[in-house]
Amino acid sequence: MHISDGVLSTPVWIGGYLVSIPIVGVITRKMNPDSIPKTAVMTSIFFVASLIHIPLGPTSVHLLLNGLVGVILGPVAFVSILLGLVLQALLFQHGGITTIGVNSLMMGIPALLASWIFRLHERFRFKASAVIFASISGAMGIILGVCILAMTLVTTGSEFTGVAKYAILAHLPVMVIEAGISGLVVSFIMKVKPEILRSQIHGT
Amino acid sequence: MHLPEIDKYAHLKSIFHSWEPRAKLVSFLFLIITISLLHNLISACAGLVLAVVLVFLSGIPFRFVFKSLTWLFLFVLLFFVIMPLTVPGRILFKVGFITCSQEGFNIALLIALRAISIGLLVFPMIGTMEFHKTLKALSRLKIPNRLIQMIMFTYRYLFVFIEEYRRMTIATQARLFKRRTNLSTLRITGNLISMLFIRGFERTQCIYDAMVSRGYKGNLEIIDESKLCCKDFLKSSLIIMAALLLNFSKFVF
Repeated sequence: MHISDGVLSTPVWIGGYLVSIPIVGVITRKMNPDSIPKTAVMTSIFFVASLIHIPLGPTSVHLLLNGLVGVILGPVAFVSILLGLVLQALLFQHGGITTIGVNSLMMGIPALLASWIFRLHERFRFKASAVIFASISGAMGIILGVCILAMTLVTTGSEFTGVAKYAILAHLPVMVIEAGISGLVVSFIMKVKPEILRSQIHGT
Repeated sequence: MHLPEIDKYAHLKSIFHSWEPRAKLVSFLFLIITISLLHNLISACAGLVLAVVLVFLSGIPFRFVFKSLTWLFLFVLLFFVIMPLTVPGRILFKVGFITCSQEGFNIALLIALRAISIGLLVFPMIGTMEFHKTLKALSRLKIPNRLIQMIMFTYRYLFVFIEEYRRMTIATQARLFKRRTNLSTLRITGNLISMLFIRGFERTQCIYDAMVSRGYKGNLEIIDESKLCCKDFLKSSLIIMAALLLNFSKFVF
């Protein structure tokens, strides 16, 4: 989910940078030196995973995984998403250069919320709680992200209301797939290497 | 899934290839910002023409550029489909109960012109030097060292994990797995992604240990000896002048 250059009005994309730069600044300051290379390696895995296409009827969707990034990395997820977007804009011309700020808010804020939601599972002591909370985080990542997308479009101009509605509709199936994948990944990791989830990567 | 190949043509020779990276980045970023500010169709057309000329001068083959921009064209096309139908205004044409408005079409056209010109400009800006030179230039332009480090590592390990993913896909195909719209595809893709994570997680610890044993303490010394000369300033001022002209052209039209 990202907006390319040339769509948003200037105040909106500048606003995106003004909000996201302080968040990234605070998080990178707080990171331990040892989590720098680790976050980068995890980011490249997320990058590769988000290039995977899943068939959906006649078309296919690619995963966004911002909820899952939040679940696995914790607050560092915001930085990880920013890196992913920078590389995507520079290497693959997906997304845009002027819109890196807005796009990182669009995917990063849901990721931060997802990491918080996922931590709630520790309070419930039934067996599948982690999987259920991971699914909720995954679905929330998409739906909140697309709502922020719609908001930025509508603040750009009222003529984008139609596009915003279609964007939300188009992401509903993605949300279902993302919830499924997040749940499956977390249940697999719980079985094979649960310490990945407990460390919330080398958090801050 | 293909490897990132933005700097595939970095070995060519052109005025952009010999340009000092810092000067090139700053002037192109200025041009990109100016183009995103354009509000009338004629100056946006001029912007597109300028972008095409710059790509032509850089010597990067157009076929490669257009192939890389496929996603952008699809994205823009979406606006051409949706905007004329949803924006009220003067009617362009009417088929049955579907009406297309002139205003919607104009907005879509403006978006397309701006988006495609900026997409094109990325090639003479970054495609004319190796990616590590871009990062070194960014680091000398005072982008925080930690971010540069992370971009470098991420870029490096992208290739590793794309390769890893390819091997895993071949393994699934060897076991007759085909992607369809069903639950088992979802489950198998989920497992594949989790396996990527687990292998990657184990690898991060090894990579970090290897770096520490080579004296890594949390920052990376970046050595870059490129120097600015008057030719670089000349090229930059030409680009910045073109950008300003584009933005002031709205007073003319």
